[in-house]
Amino acid sequence: MTDPLSLSPEDVRRLTAVTDPWLSCDDCFDAVDAVVEGVLVRGTTMSEAFRVHLLSCSVCCEEAEALASLVAADHGLDPATALSMVDELVQAGVPRGGWT
Amino acid sequence: MAELEEVLDPVPYATAGWDPTSNEEWLARLGFCGAVRDEAVARLHSLMVRAARHQVHRMNDAIGLGAARREEIVLSAADEATVSVLARLHTFEGRSRFTTWAFKFGILHAGVEVRRAAWSGREIELHTIEETRASGQSPEGYAETRDLADAVTRAIAEILTPHQRRVAVALLVEEVPIDVLADRLATTRNALYKTLHDARKRLREHLRAAGYLATPEEATR
Repeated sequence: MTDPLSLSPEDVRRLTAVTDPWLSCDDCFDAVDAVVEGVLVRGTTMSEAFRVHLLSCSVCCEEAEALASLVAADHGLDPATALSMVDELVQAGVPRGGWT
Repeated sequence: MAELEEVLDPVPYATAGWDPTSNEEWLARLGFCGAVRDEAVARLHSLMVRAARHQVHRMNDAIGLGAARREEIVLSAADEATVSVLARLHTFEGRSRFTTWAFKFGILHAGVEVRRAAWSGREIELHTIEETRASGQSPEGYAETRDLADAVTRAIAEILTPHQRRVAVALLVEEVPIDVLADRLATTRNALYKTLHDARKRLREHLRAAGYLATPEEATR
């Protein structure tokens, strides 16, 4: 017999997160190098589908951040700056004060 | 691909110490044969070790594994990443530096191995879920949140398929890493994310119809 499911507000946010426009994990992996370099080197933004995917797939997001911090020095940036550049874009569509 | 002679440094390419800076040079050397290729593969492998080590050191899941196990993972992930890069060289389109493109394979393999190691031997069961967690909200806010949480709980039981329910609860409530669950269910990260996407969509539609979530039109007003 299993215990009844009891959800925290954070669980609810994750369960009801909007994941459109759709982007698969494979598509994310294919694009992540170009997106990260675009953000760090050319100051470009990321597509809405890519941004939404990073918001809703913690593992892909962790890997994108790892890549940004790893290549930061190749582009004259420190890792913390590179991470915040990526994070700012990912969080751009999140309401002030976070999701409720 | 350009001819090797057009992209190689003017220094003898079989000597140690070359420092490839262009994508074309990487591709030419890795596509060549003999000592030139061997040296390029060794360079690539050292890049993969760097990427894997970087990722392992960032991951909280790796802390409890011990230094020796972490180093094993770094080297194993670097080996696998090197093979992956060489197998997918033909897919490199030059949209980033070659090194940035290659690094993502090292990061991927290291991340997957750390998560697998950290969850090795751990059961994934639904009945380990804790009771309601306090959130520091006002009584009114708490009641609203509780209503929504109860509605989501009911929706999970009533409108999700057994597979969707299992995947959504494991990934989003129990926070099982997606690669670990993919291993246990003999599927892929991609397939699980799609299952999650469909489950979230069903939940949102149901909650919207029941008045718990705003419609897209209401949300933009």
